Amino acid sequence: MRKYFNYIWKLSVSLLLVMVFLINSGKISATANDAMTQLQKAVDAILVILQSEELRTPERKDERKQLVLDVVNEMFDFRDMARSSLGQNWNSLTQEEQNRFVGLFTSLVEQRYIGKIDSFDNQKVVYRKQLVKGDKAMIYTDIVDKDLEVPIIYKLQEIEGKWLIYDMKIENVSLIVNYRKDFESIIRKEQFAGLVDKITQQLEKLETQN
Amino acid sequence: MIYYSRCLKSRIFDRCNEKEQLNQSDLEHILILQVCVLSFLLFFGAHAWADNLTLEVSAPSLVAASEASLLEIDAKADESAWQDEENWDEEWDTGATIADPLEPLNRFFFHFNDKLYYWVLKPVARGYSAILAEEFRISIGNFFDNLLSPGRAVNCLIQGEVKDSSVELARFVLNSTAGIFGFGDFARDILDLRSSEEDTGQTLGYYGLGGVFYIVWPFLGPSNFRDSLGKIGDAYMHPMIYFDADWEVTVGLWTLDKVNYISLTLGDYELFTETALDPYAAVKDAYQQYREGQIKN
Repeated sequence: MRKYFNYIWKLSVSLLLVMVFLINSGKISATANDAMTQLQKAVDAILVILQSEELRTPERKDERKQLVLDVVNEMFDFRDMARSSLGQNWNSLTQEEQNRFVGLFTSLVEQRYIGKIDSFDNQKVVYRKQLVKGDKAMIYTDIVDKDLEVPIIYKLQEIEGKWLIYDMKIENVSLIVNYRKDFESIIRKEQFAGLVDKITQQLEKLETQN
Repeated sequence: MIYYSRCLKSRIFDRCNEKEQLNQSDLEHILILQVCVLSFLLFFGAHAWADNLTLEVSAPSLVAASEASLLEIDAKADESAWQDEENWDEEWDTGATIADPLEPLNRFFFHFNDKLYYWVLKPVARGYSAILAEEFRISIGNFFDNLLSPGRAVNCLIQGEVKDSSVELARFVLNSTAGIFGFGDFARDILDLRSSEEDTGQTLGYYGLGGVFYIVWPFLGPSNFRDSLGKIGDAYMHPMIYFDADWEVTVGLWTLDKVNYISLTLGDYELFTETALDPYAAVKDAYQQYREGQIKN
């Protein structure tokens, strides 16, 4: 149980840091083709932004959140993530259903991590190594907090000269594989329609909570 | 952490002084002084020991050897990482899902634990964190973590990791003394000795035992057949067992450990389960993946 909570904490922190990385990545991707350099520069730059007192004021909270979300949408390959989270079921969907699902999936993942932005508190990122094979890269990092060290592996894919994240493993737990099992469990009983209903309900519930 | 060790140490000294002023029995304060001296000796002894360690390692041949073996390990790990990657698309259908013959019962206990969290543990942890500063709670976490070291050392040894085993042992000795009963992680902060986080469940996994089937225990949470067996092994290697404590004490300490842990991770459980569609399935998979990862390392 302890370990499991640990995992959840780590999952949250890590996506927060991805978001951090994303805010500035747009500027950097043009100059650096190396995935690791890109990540590193971006994280450094965005740590500065997250620490900026100006953006921390309650009035600018939504602005900061939106800023993060805009860039997240640009840097994560949400379509590919949605596709692999559905597995074989994806192919049986119409184009329209696929598009709708990508939207829902994106909101769901965003919700999982958006709550963590406010609790960001000077965590540091250590870059351990990157493995590159053709158009794929894996970047090994550690997030260092007061009492914890969280290993995170980012998986990126180069598409038209731009590195896009398509999965991340936090303490060896893959975000996509985890959602795949989650969705499978719903689809088995309630088919794809049931899954869509469930995500919609869940998102509404989270909206009203916030 | 160092700061706390120092605080605690100075507190011991303060007490020595008080005792002198109070003119208590000589025997008593000699004993206390001995403890102080001993912990200081250990403190500096550890430094000396660490210096020796670096000297030894910096012998050129050793460096070459260790680097070569490290590279080898790295290359192997990298290869397996890419293999996982190549299975990415195939994983769609064949992804290892642990058997769950007890699902109805497991779901019941999952629900029970969920309510336990929201109705009992969370409010308690909130009150607890309101009265105790985060630094103290981290120290308490360290204390409980330190008690797992002997078991970890044994498990490293059984898995043939002699070096990791000695690191665990050193961590236990140093943190229990220089780290003041394990409240400070002296070994990590000063000597950069890191725990390998092994346990008996991982040892069984290392020797090829799969999870067999998934189990959700009331109070204890997600587990599987292998890790439940492992827990029994871990319990036998836990120092508490040698104190022959009453079960009330054991349960009390376990609860403190748990509440303390939750107080440091408030909000994470909620976020994860609320953004999962079938939280039971999501937790089951997270547990499975997490343990697989630990066994591989």
